[in-house]
Amino acid sequence: MIIRPSRLFASCAVAALFACAGAASAETVVTMNTVQIFGTIDPAKISDYTDYMAAVNLYDGLLTVDSSGNLVPELAESWAVSDDAREATFTLRADAHFADGSPVEASDVVYTFERLFRINQGPANLFAGVLSAGSVEAVDARTVKFTLEKPFAPFLATIPAVFILNEDAVTANEGGDDGQTWLATNTAGAGAYTLKSWERGARMVIVRDPNYYKGFGDGPIDEVRWIVTNDEATVKSLAASGELTMTSQYQSPDTYKALEDMGRFNIAKEATATAFYLKLNTKVAPTDDVHVRRAIALATDYDTIREVILPGGELTTPLPKAFADFHNDDIPQVAYDLEAAKAELAQSKYAGQEIPIVLGYVAGTKFEEEISLLMQSNLEQIGFKVTQQPDPWNRITEIAGKVETTPAVNQVFFGPTYPSPDSMFYTQYHSNAAGTWASMEWVQDPEVDAMIDKARVTGDPAGQAAIYKELQAKLVDIQPDVFLLTQTVQHAMDKCLTGFKAVPMQSFDYDFTRYSWTCK
Amino acid sequence: MEFLSFLLRRVGWSLLVLVGLSMVIFFIARIVPGDPARMALGPTATAEQVEALNDKLGLNKPITVQYAYFVGGLAQGDLGRSLLTERAVNDDIRDTFPATFELVFATIFMAFVFGVPMGVVAANWKDRWPDTAVRLFAIFAAVTPSFFLAILLQVLAGYVLGVLPTTGRLSPDVVYTAGPTGLLIFDSIAQGRWDVLGDAVRHLILPATALAAATTGQIARITRASMIDTSRQDYIEAARAFGVPGWLRLFKYNLRPSFVPPLTILGLEFASLIGGAFVVELVFAWPGMAAYGIRTILQKDLNAVMGVVMVSGVFFVTVNLVIDILVGIVDPRVRIRGKRT
Repeated sequence: MIIRPSRLFASCAVAALFACAGAASAETVVTMNTVQIFGTIDPAKISDYTDYMAAVNLYDGLLTVDSSGNLVPELAESWAVSDDAREATFTLRADAHFADGSPVEASDVVYTFERLFRINQGPANLFAGVLSAGSVEAVDARTVKFTLEKPFAPFLATIPAVFILNEDAVTANEGGDDGQTWLATNTAGAGAYTLKSWERGARMVIVRDPNYYKGFGDGPIDEVRWIVTNDEATVKSLAASGELTMTSQYQSPDTYKALEDMGRFNIAKEATATAFYLKLNTKVAPTDDVHVRRAIALATDYDTIREVILPGGELTTPLPKAFADFHNDDIPQVAYDLEAAKAELAQSKYAGQEIPIVLGYVAGTKFEEEISLLMQSNLEQIGFKVTQQPDPWNRITEIAGKVETTPAVNQVFFGPTYPSPDSMFYTQYHSNAAGTWASMEWVQDPEVDAMIDKARVTGDPAGQAAIYKELQAKLVDIQPDVFLLTQTVQHAMDKCLTGFKAVPMQSFDYDFTRYSWTCK
Repeated sequence: MEFLSFLLRRVGWSLLVLVGLSMVIFFIARIVPGDPARMALGPTATAEQVEALNDKLGLNKPITVQYAYFVGGLAQGDLGRSLLTERAVNDDIRDTFPATFELVFATIFMAFVFGVPMGVVAANWKDRWPDTAVRLFAIFAAVTPSFFLAILLQVLAGYVLGVLPTTGRLSPDVVYTAGPTGLLIFDSIAQGRWDVLGDAVRHLILPATALAAATTGQIARITRASMIDTSRQDYIEAARAFGVPGWLRLFKYNLRPSFVPPLTILGLEFASLIGGAFVVELVFAWPGMAAYGIRTILQKDLNAVMGVVMVSGVFFVTVNLVIDILVGIVDPRVRIRGKRT
């Protein structure tokens, strides 16, 4: 049937309210849902997974991280660390420029770090006691030198967390707050994408900068749209209408199945460096006894949890196997064995009596509830009297602040915030990091602290690996956690979209320069 | 003069209500579990950083001092900064309030347009099938939670039929900078942007329908009951005896005096939905203040929680005041009673 232009116009006029608006489309658009809102895009304040998802596209750092956890050049073309590990010098790419076309210079790097120290939020905590005002200096326009206050081996691994700002653009809009108000809604970076629109709480749209200094590969993504929704029906309807290209990693199995059945989507699965633990409070009864902790580990049905309740990979030590060079492969997987658990419990100071124990988990999280019920079933067979304690996440962050309010058993996910084992060990087990939801074990063990500190000042990777392997053996021996699994991340992705690879740092997996559209 | 005195008294009481509200919410927000600074900075933040942010926010000061700071800021129209969005709460509310207002306005509009005629039909054909149909609809609409209806509509219109957009206020392809009011429909008409108008209306249909169903049923039932009561008045019988045409009796002598209860309900719904539309806003990724309010509560973003509650409170009180005035206009007896008191 041929439709005359005039008739088409008339049809559109009649149906203007229902069909004809918004027909235009960018060349290659990827629409992804995200379950949390973007809090901030200011590089001095970004801290969580969702913040980094936007920032890694809007800004570039000196270095970035690949899917194997290796540091790779970004704004810096090369770098060198002094023999005493107290100085790191970066040379910037000659062709690196910001979105406004101005060159990226060493003074921009200095300004970015000085501003970060002044604001003292976001990634600033990574440099506490290591860098401070005056530690970063411009040697010349393309060379920047970091002088560390003490040797800190993971220093290079923390560098990708900081995105470089265009000093001129920010100081021109400095206001009275170091540009915080301006950078809350504007960008001043050298990233591959620029901010097109941002409806807080609903949607963010970024567009490709065709002049990006590193260029793009085949099939670049021209526009990325994030829609904030954790509603499964919304995700399905977006997919059915053709609008959705990629889901978040937090959809229900039903949604993944529904999208796969539509025929347009593949389910991409990747093992991650995020670990899921039962954190055992080592300072309250009954988990203050190592035999009780070991008994709980032996009474855990790993196969059911990993294969049925929450699909994931094997976790034998506190460190996921993604850190292959540092992982202690000699430590075997604990086997589910109720008889062995009973024998272990018999050695504890609580033997011969009913042992009350509190199992905490995040209220409203179905899989955590199922795991907690499974644990209750197993633990009550070997002599525990279980009390379930579901708490909202807000409450958990608060009760984690004190030994006496932290439950004996807690289900917690933790992943690296920078690609170094230090990120896993320091935040969870060092005494200086106690009192957060990430350290509900309250390990506070001088020997553990000493090993973590020693690894921090050991520049040689082989030496570091030896320390971390010993540390894993020590932690497995004192059993502050039950090592449940490593998280498997999955996305339903349009079959034309490729490039998803899990990266062991924040949400660097969603740097869309790494993705491509393969359909013509 | 009496009416002015009545108004001043009402405004005075309203201000007292708002002061009470601010105190109650301020203290409740502070006893809700969670350390705002720790939640904002994340688990890797050092204790010193958390302490520094608590100092900056004044959270280490006695609670009465904190309240005094809050009232001081409020008096200057400054609601403080949000920890969730890292912006002034005023800016967040300025951005999100119009979205919620537009959604709720559309909801009330739909409830009025459909609810009142349904009530009139039911009353006019009392105990016959139109009445039964309206009453059945009203019951189903009242007992169906808005979130369930929202998901149902989304699946039906978005997933199965694919005829209406299911998220946001505008399609991403539509390039448009909101006008001075932030109300897309109003601004787009004022600017002659008919493409934006069409797109905005399409985006409004599903969330407004999900929110409007219960109110529509309620309005229909109340209009019906009120009209049936009025129809038993002597003056209606007199009008019939004098041969006043049926449509004139129905609309002029019956509907107008029957209009006070549904109008009151509409006003109250308008005000309460400003804060209560959050479930529908979350389902449809609607960038409104209600969803913003829920997120700030979960994040224990104290300034933002206070800001949202205060704005909702002011709106609620204002709408109630306006309803009182409107009711007085619609029903002169209320004005007369007001003068006598």
